[in-house]
Amino acid sequence: MTFIVPIGPQHPALKEPAFFRFEVKGEEIADVDIRFGYVHRGIEEALQRRDYKHDVYLIERICGICNVVHTTTYCQAIEQLAGVEPPERAKYIRVIILELERIHSHLLWLGIAAHQIGFNTLFMLAWRDRERVMDLREIISGNRVTSATNTIGGVRRDVKPEHVPTILRGLDELEHSTKYYIDLFNSDRTILARCTNVGILTKDDARKFCAVGPLARASGVDTDIRRDHPYAIYDKLSFNVITEREGDVWAKSMVRLREILEAIHIVRQAVKEMPIGPIRIKVNLEIPRNEAIERTEAPRGELFYYALSNGTDSPERVHVRTPTCANFASIKRMFLGGTVAEIPIVIWSIDPCFACNDRVALVDSHTGKTFNLSLKELRKWRH
Amino acid sequence: MNAKEVTTLIKDHVDEIKIKDECLFATTDKQRYREAMLALRTQDIQHIFTITGVDQGKTVEVIYHFDCRPALLNLKINLPKNELRIPTITDIFPGAILYERELMEMFGVKVEGHPDPRRIFLPDDWPDGEYPLRKEWREKTK
Repeated sequence: MTFIVPIGPQHPALKEPAFFRFEVKGEEIADVDIRFGYVHRGIEEALQRRDYKHDVYLIERICGICNVVHTTTYCQAIEQLAGVEPPERAKYIRVIILELERIHSHLLWLGIAAHQIGFNTLFMLAWRDRERVMDLREIISGNRVTSATNTIGGVRRDVKPEHVPTILRGLDELEHSTKYYIDLFNSDRTILARCTNVGILTKDDARKFCAVGPLARASGVDTDIRRDHPYAIYDKLSFNVITEREGDVWAKSMVRLREILEAIHIVRQAVKEMPIGPIRIKVNLEIPRNEAIERTEAPRGELFYYALSNGTDSPERVHVRTPTCANFASIKRMFLGGTVAEIPIVIWSIDPCFACNDRVALVDSHTGKTFNLSLKELRKWRH
Repeated sequence: MNAKEVTTLIKDHVDEIKIKDECLFATTDKQRYREAMLALRTQDIQHIFTITGVDQGKTVEVIYHFDCRPALLNLKINLPKNELRIPTITDIFPGAILYERELMEMFGVKVEGHPDPRRIFLPDDWPDGEYPLRKEWREKTK
């Protein structure tokens, strides 16, 4: 006899709305079904109705946490369509902001992961350190989160030389605390008990279901767009692609923590080697018919854009595939055979970022049948 | 596989191949696309980035994006709007399951044999026969 445990769309264990329907046999998870669309905003359609420049601002709002990587990918795709190259200095500034974003995203993840396993002190510590990155981002771009750094043909704000010492000092502090977190994940009994051998994704499954980013790398799949298809100036910088073999929650955490160290290393190089020069060029945005593919390595994995121009100043089509969408195909494997207590941390271990609206699902406690109610029906029920 | 190796592998199953750096654009049809995909699978290519739909007026162009490491293959199939059906590729590439659902609800392309043909992003009370990324919808909602 199985029972249905509905989680979401609104639930304390979820930081964003999604609906998970778990079928459990006692404590063991027998099946899981996921529904998305609670935050679907129709952005792809809206992009076709605006011009290229307006689209930058809309693209930036696809995701709050990783907004820079979205605008970078979009701008690179449009630059490719128009056949222009941004100035060298702009590429360095993009990399600096992108890597600071990765540090902030991974620290945000670490905080919530700690909270999911009941380790609230670590949550506070991680988010304290995240504030340092946010400050650095504010120094460079003028904004903590939505930085509005990118524009088609370069970046909008320069990194001033007087800010470089502050950035380097901030990175030293971050490096120190990240090393402490790595020690903690290697030694703390609570973390080891809650994270090892939990939510395992095998290498074969990761490849079969096209997992991307830290999720794939934690299962031993050696993939990183920054190294495999370098964009901006990643081909001039030295960094390691972090992989682990275990594929459990611990490995996913370790990949992200060690990636913070690599990101710090990248920002240091970029700040030191940054050439002097212009930061943007003018681009004629009446782009003849052309198509372009652009891929970048977002904090959650590979981000994919397809863009098609039609001779006007608006795109004919822009298609966005976010890393979370790619990682959901493999999530079922990570739950099956696990226990109910693991659900929050396993969901969070893929670092989900739901950017996509539907309705309430009701489960009949006698028969286990699920009913979906539309907004109209819901309104009727209110009376 | 680099762009040249991919070209040799699939050239019998496609019409024309355009190569830009390591990025390949190839056009094929409903009769031959599965052979091209099976040929890719023999070379241990498992990663599909996504499936893009583009409304081209009279047809809907379906583009499958494959990672051939380092080459990137974009396989295009044009489906006339009165005959919008295509068999699923989830038996060859299981990772395509969510992308095919998106293609179905956004463009009204019927993916035959899909294991889970529910909607993915649109609400349950979204009217049948309305496809938000089709040109007709854009005209209607101007």
